Formats: sequence, C-alpha cells, structure tokens
Amino acid sequence: MDRRSVLKGLAGASGLALTGGLSAPAIAQGAAARTLRFVPQANLANFDPIWGTQYVVRNAAAMVWDTLYGIDSSFQPQRQMVESEEVTDDGTTWTFKLRPGLKFHDGEPVRSKDVVASLDRWAARDPMGLMLKAIQQELTAVDDRTFKWVLKQPYPKMLFALGKNNSPCAFIMPERIAQTDPFKQISDYVGSGPLKFVKGEWVPGAKAVFEKFTDYVPRQEKPSWLAGGKQVMIDRVEWVIMPDPATAAAALQNGEVDWWENPIADLVPVLKNNKNISVDIGDPLGNIGSFRMNFLYPPFNNVKARRAVLMALSQEDYMRSIVGDDNSLWKALPSFFTPDTPLYTELGGDILKGKRDLNAAKKLLAESGYSGEPVTCLVAQDQPITKAMGDVTADLLKKLGMNVDFVATDWGTVGARRALKTPPGQGGWNMFHTWHAGADCVNPAPYTAIRANGDKAWFGWPTSEATEKEVTSWFEAKNLDEEKAAIGRLNKAAMDDVVYAPTGFFLSYTAWRKNVSGVAKGPVPLFWGVSKSA
Amino acid sequence: MLSYILRRLVATLPVMAIVALFVFSLLYIAPGDPAVVIAGDQASPEDVERIRQSLGLDRPFLIQFGSWVWRILHGDLGTSIFTNLPVSTLIGQRLGPTLSLMVITLLLTIVVAVPLGVVAAWKAGSFIDRAIMGFAVFGFSLPVFVVGYMLAYIFALQLEWLPVQGYTPLNQGFWPWLENLILPAIALGCVYIALVARITRAAMLEVLQQDYIRTARAKGLGQGGILFIHALKNAAVPIVTVIGIGIALLIGGAVVTESVFAIPGLGRLTIDAILRRDYPVIQGIVLLFSFVYVLVNLMIDVTYTLVDPRIRY
Repeated sequence: MDRRSVLKGLAGASGLALTGGLSAPAIAQGAAARTLRFVPQANLANFDPIWGTQYVVRNAAAMVWDTLYGIDSSFQPQRQMVESEEVTDDGTTWTFKLRPGLKFHDGEPVRSKDVVASLDRWAARDPMGLMLKAIQQELTAVDDRTFKWVLKQPYPKMLFALGKNNSPCAFIMPERIAQTDPFKQISDYVGSGPLKFVKGEWVPGAKAVFEKFTDYVPRQEKPSWLAGGKQVMIDRVEWVIMPDPATAAAALQNGEVDWWENPIADLVPVLKNNKNISVDIGDPLGNIGSFRMNFLYPPFNNVKARRAVLMALSQEDYMRSIVGDDNSLWKALPSFFTPDTPLYTELGGDILKGKRDLNAAKKLLAESGYSGEPVTCLVAQDQPITKAMGDVTADLLKKLGMNVDFVATDWGTVGARRALKTPPGQGGWNMFHTWHAGADCVNPAPYTAIRANGDKAWFGWPTSEATEKEVTSWFEAKNLDEEKAAIGRLNKAAMDDVVYAPTGFFLSYTAWRKNVSGVAKGPVPLFWGVSKSA
Repeated sequence: MLSYILRRLVATLPVMAIVALFVFSLLYIAPGDPAVVIAGDQASPEDVERIRQSLGLDRPFLIQFGSWVWRILHGDLGTSIFTNLPVSTLIGQRLGPTLSLMVITLLLTIVVAVPLGVVAAWKAGSFIDRAIMGFAVFGFSLPVFVVGYMLAYIFALQLEWLPVQGYTPLNQGFWPWLENLILPAIALGCVYIALVARITRAAMLEVLQQDYIRTARAKGLGQGGILFIHALKNAAVPIVTVIGIGIALLIGGAVVTESVFAIPGLGRLTIDAILRRDYPVIQGIVLLFSFVYVLVNLMIDVTYTLVDPRIRY
C-alpha cells in the first residue's frame, strides 16, 4: 500500500463523518479507460464554428458536426456525408445526394433542407463561400436526400470548398440551428458527427465533454484526416483546459490527463524522458511564422523598404526564438506555401536565401527614402510565439538603423489595433506579428493572408495586382500542372511586392500517454481511431 | 446590532454602483475589442465590425451602461459575449472551487499561523522564535507560483501522494474534493500563514507585557491558560482584522493559484474574461467581489464585538 492510499483512507474515513456519508463514486478501471482526457491548445470559450473561427472551436466542431466532404492527407476532398455528386458538362449545376441513414444527435434524420440552411450560413462568412454566393443562381433541396447548387459560372474548386478544414468549415447543422444569423452565436449544439457535445457539463474555461454518438454510421473507408471512416473507440472525451503549460506537463506525467495537444518546446525534453509518454509531431503541415508590414504608411508603403527588411531578416533567428535548439522542428522557408505539399514552390524566393546582407539592405532602405520616422511594431506578449518573433524583429530593425516603437501588449489589444487604418502616430501601426497554420497555406483558397487586393485584403492591406492575377489563375486552373504554374508565379509576385514577411516554417509536438493508441498526425486533433487501455 | 448590520448592507449598494460605473468606464476606454478575439486571427475587418454590431458594442457609452444597469436592476447580470451563457451561470459554476479553496486556506492559516505566532511570542528572542519568524519571512517572500510548482513537483510528481491539478465537487466525495485542494491551499496559504503569524506574535507580545498577565502568572496560572485564554483573547482584535483582510486578499491570490493548479474558479474566470474583454462577465465578477469585500468588512466589525465586549455599535 502506498502513502497516497493511506492518506485517501484516512481522509475518506474522516470525510465520511463530516459529510454524512458522501463518498466518491468508484470509477471502474474500464470506465476510466473509455474516457480520454485531452488538453487542447486553448480554451473552448464559445462553440459556434461559423460565428467564431478560432482553431480550437474548429477542432471541437469537427467532432460534433460532420461535413459533406473531407480533405484527406493527400489534400484531396473525399465524400463524407455525400453518397454521390453529379456536375453538368458546363460545370454550372451540381447535384448532390446524401448518404442514407445519417442522423442528428437528437434522433432526427439529416435532410437536404438542413444542408441548404447550413451552406447558406457558412457561405455568408467563408471566403470561398462568398465566392460561391457571388455566382450562385440557386441552392435548393430537391428531396430529403438530394440538393442542387446552380451557379452562373463554373467553380472548379467546389468540392474543396465543401471539404476544406480551415475555418470556417462547411459543417452541417439542423435547419433550425443553421437559420441563426451568421453573425450571432448559436446556443444549440446538435450535430451529426461521431461525438455529441454534452452541454450540461460544459464549464467554459475549464472543461468540455463529448460523448460517443452511437447512431453514427461511419464510412467504410480507412480514416484519413477529416475523410474516411470515423470509428470512435472511446465512450467519452473530456477536454481539460489548462492555461499553464507546466501544469499540463505535470498532469500528463502524473497520468491525470492522457493527451496534450501542443506541449511547449521548453517542456518537450522532460516529456521525452518519461517512459510512459509518447511525443511526436502533431500536425505535419506545421505553421508559417509571419510579420506584416502596413502598405498604407511610410516607410513600408515603399516596396524598397519592405524588400530591405526581407533582405536582412534571418529566418533561423526567428525559428530558434520559437523552437530553441531542436533543428527537426523548423525549416527555412523561401516561400509563402507549406513545405512538402503538392503546390509548394520556391520560385521568386531568392531574397530569403543565402547569407544575409545587412549593408545592401541598409542601402535599399536609404533608397526608399526612410528618414528615421518611428516604426510602430505591435507584439502580443501573451502569445509566446509572437513575443519571440517580435523581439527578433525589434533587433533586426535596430540593426537596419530604424527607429523602433515597440508596442508589447496583449492579444486583445493587438487584434483591435491592427484593424485600424489610421496613421501609426494616431493609433495605427507599421507592423505586427502572427503565424498561419500550414493547413491554410497549401493553396490560395483558404489563404487569406496571401491576398493583396488593397482595402479588401487582410491587415496591412497589401496591393499587388500581379499577386491577385495569379490567385485568379489558380482558381481557374483546370489541372494540377496549371495550378502549379499559377502558384509559382503567385509566389514570385508576392515575394517581389512583399505581401508579408515569412519568418520560417515550424512544427509543434503533441504528447500522449503510452496507454493511448491510434493518435494520428493531422491538421486537426483526430479522436476517431484513438483507444485507451487501463 | 441587527439594525447596524442592515444599515451596513444597504450601504453596500452605492459602493457597488460606484465601483460598477468605474469599472464600466475603465473597460470602455481601455484598448482591446472582444469582437476581434471572437472573429479569430484570419477574420476581415468587415467581419469584426459585423460582430461588434451584433453584440451592441458599437453603441454609445451611456446606452451600453444604461442597458446594463437596467438589467442589473431586474436581477440579470447579463450574458457572456463569448459563451452565450448567463453571467450568473458562469459565476455559479466557478464559485464552488474558489470558496472551497478559500475555506481550506483560511482553516489552514488559522490552525497553523495562530499557534505559531503565540509560541513565537511566548519564546520571544529564542531559537524557536527566530525559526518561526524566519519561516514567516520565507513564506512571505516566495511567490505563490514558485511554491505551487515546488509542491506539485515534490508531492505530486515525485511522491505521487496528491494530484497536480483539477477540482472535484464535494458531492463527489470528501477525499476527492480535499485532495485537489491541499497543495493549492498550502501554496496560497504560505503568505497568509506568514502574515497572520507575525501579527499574532506582535499582538501577543504587547498583551504579554500587561499587568493582568503578570497577575495571572503570580497567582500560579498555567502557561497554556495564560497564553490561549487570557492573552490570545485580548490580542484577538488585530488578528481578526488581518485574517479578515486576508479573506479579501485571498480572492486576488486565488487567480495565480487557480492557474497553476488548473482549478476552475473565479480567479481563472476573471483572467479569461479580462484577456478576452468579456465585459458582462468582468462587470458581474467585480460586483460580486465588491459585495464580498463589504461583507467581509462587516463580518470583521461584528466579530470585534464578540472578542471584545467593550466594543459596541
């Protein structure tokens, strides 16, 4: 008998007297083995994957709501809720048929009208959805299992749009829920996915619980990311929110949790040394570090100033500030696209390669007309990745002879300030730091950050006609060769005009107890196929 | 006494109203925007603006404040911007863990600190006194999170006696409830044990020099009786004061402790709400904390009359 058991026994006996007989329910080993306790990357503060598009919401939503198609590990959309689809020769009319036997968690069948309402809500918020809406003639339910989408012109990326895994995904909800204004939050979380959300046990900021949906009918194919057969092997998944990484590491070592989505690099060696814990790369698509320069105001309204920064920056400095000495966790990235994906290209990326030339960069900066005005650099210091990159940038700008106004604050403030188009001296900004999930940078469809259409572009409002032209070329491409050619030209144009500064590609680990098996790599934590022994 | 308590409770209302107005104004002028956090990192400025409108954040200050006060007057603390859940529900979910942590910490403080302070005063100038006061300085100087990590490392990871994190409600068993609270209560209690021990020692030293103590000794009363019956009772007013203030301070200390031990209490809710600019939640918590502060002060005043019959209101 160990000391803890003795203490339990003693306190249990005294507690029995104090509480009039209340005692802990015995949790059978089997029950414990059927509950997976997972520490997610962040708090699940809300649960509407269309209203709020944070990755953590998307990850939870992928358990509860299913999609018509799912992207597999080869980046191809595969049928998920759909049994078959037909498209007319002119590419304008798509007819989809749903799989038989699909049910929502409240027992109601999934009908076409649910799909139509869900796609309507999604399309109001998603960039690809908005494109579809702009060319939509009608979206109608033909019968309970068939729906039709008629377009004014072909949209070759239709299946990708319906299956993509970047937020917001085209999740299918019951009609009554999907009719909610896309800018208002839903409060009913009924889906048809492999797990049910237990609203009654939700403690935002602390715990979210999901139970296996026993009426879910998985596809028969092998699972692959969000495609294929989603076989759930456990009864219950508990998300345990832990704001402190050291606590999460200790809880994993102690067996109080089973799987930690993203351990910080500093703690990985400790976890690797524990014989009960497996550590591996979680998302092979990793992340792309970035800082964006404001195209609206000096000095970065001049392409020479932007190029000077690109010419001087060392991606190794940025990456080491994030991942430390572990060389397996980062790659230099003379590109805007995710390495090892089908469309990856380094065309036009020479400016980021080779030895850094500070003198040439200084000369180019002088040619841009920079005359010592303050450069307002926003950094969210409550996010370790952006804080680390911000420190490197401040050093870089000082080496370039720039006058840095370093504004380190919390993410809420950075997020609000970066939306301001006013001059830096009047509340605006010159640069801010962030990073993009590699899954969002595989092609231009989900890649908001690569767009360069001025006022309509993402923060920094880059204008680059050449970049925009190639985005359109990719959307219109009819085969992989055409897509690759368009992406090559796009990468060069975006690099020439410095739409943003890529600071490198980095990977993150995930860690789980060795009694958990079936943890698969993917852009989203995948709970199907995962089992746990006692 | 009853009318005094009622008067004090009624006086709480203007205090809470002023605090609420102050906090509301502060949040309004502070930078940061909940709509940005909700919309996510990849959202467009148009999306953010639409969300702001849907939440009513684009309305003028007076309208927002007026609407909030109106709801409060109707017993409605509002709805969280992020979770879409009533603020009262969120506070209700978090009240149990924080109260439990505070109760255990307070008990621990009283049980450990008061005897330590009494013994230190009794043995003033001796090695025992210096050891106790040295411990007090140590406890006072170490940040809560350092003590927390040390305790978790030793007692959870190395010895495996106690869990690292979490909270189990009391209705699921006394030990499951208690085992989650022992380490956080010690971590949080260190500062208060040190504080109360020092105050107790100082108060006792003063009392022990009084004539009636000398008389008690002269008539042959035992040391225990002198210390714990005659002296401690007369030294109780400052001790009660510092324990009372400690209760209020525990709320602040709980923020760090709850994060380190992943306890889903009000401290974490407060931090989460502030970082996300979840205004209704922040306002609800501030109102609650204001009320607790006033209530604790009232309890201290009432306790004075119990320990010192000369005090009357």
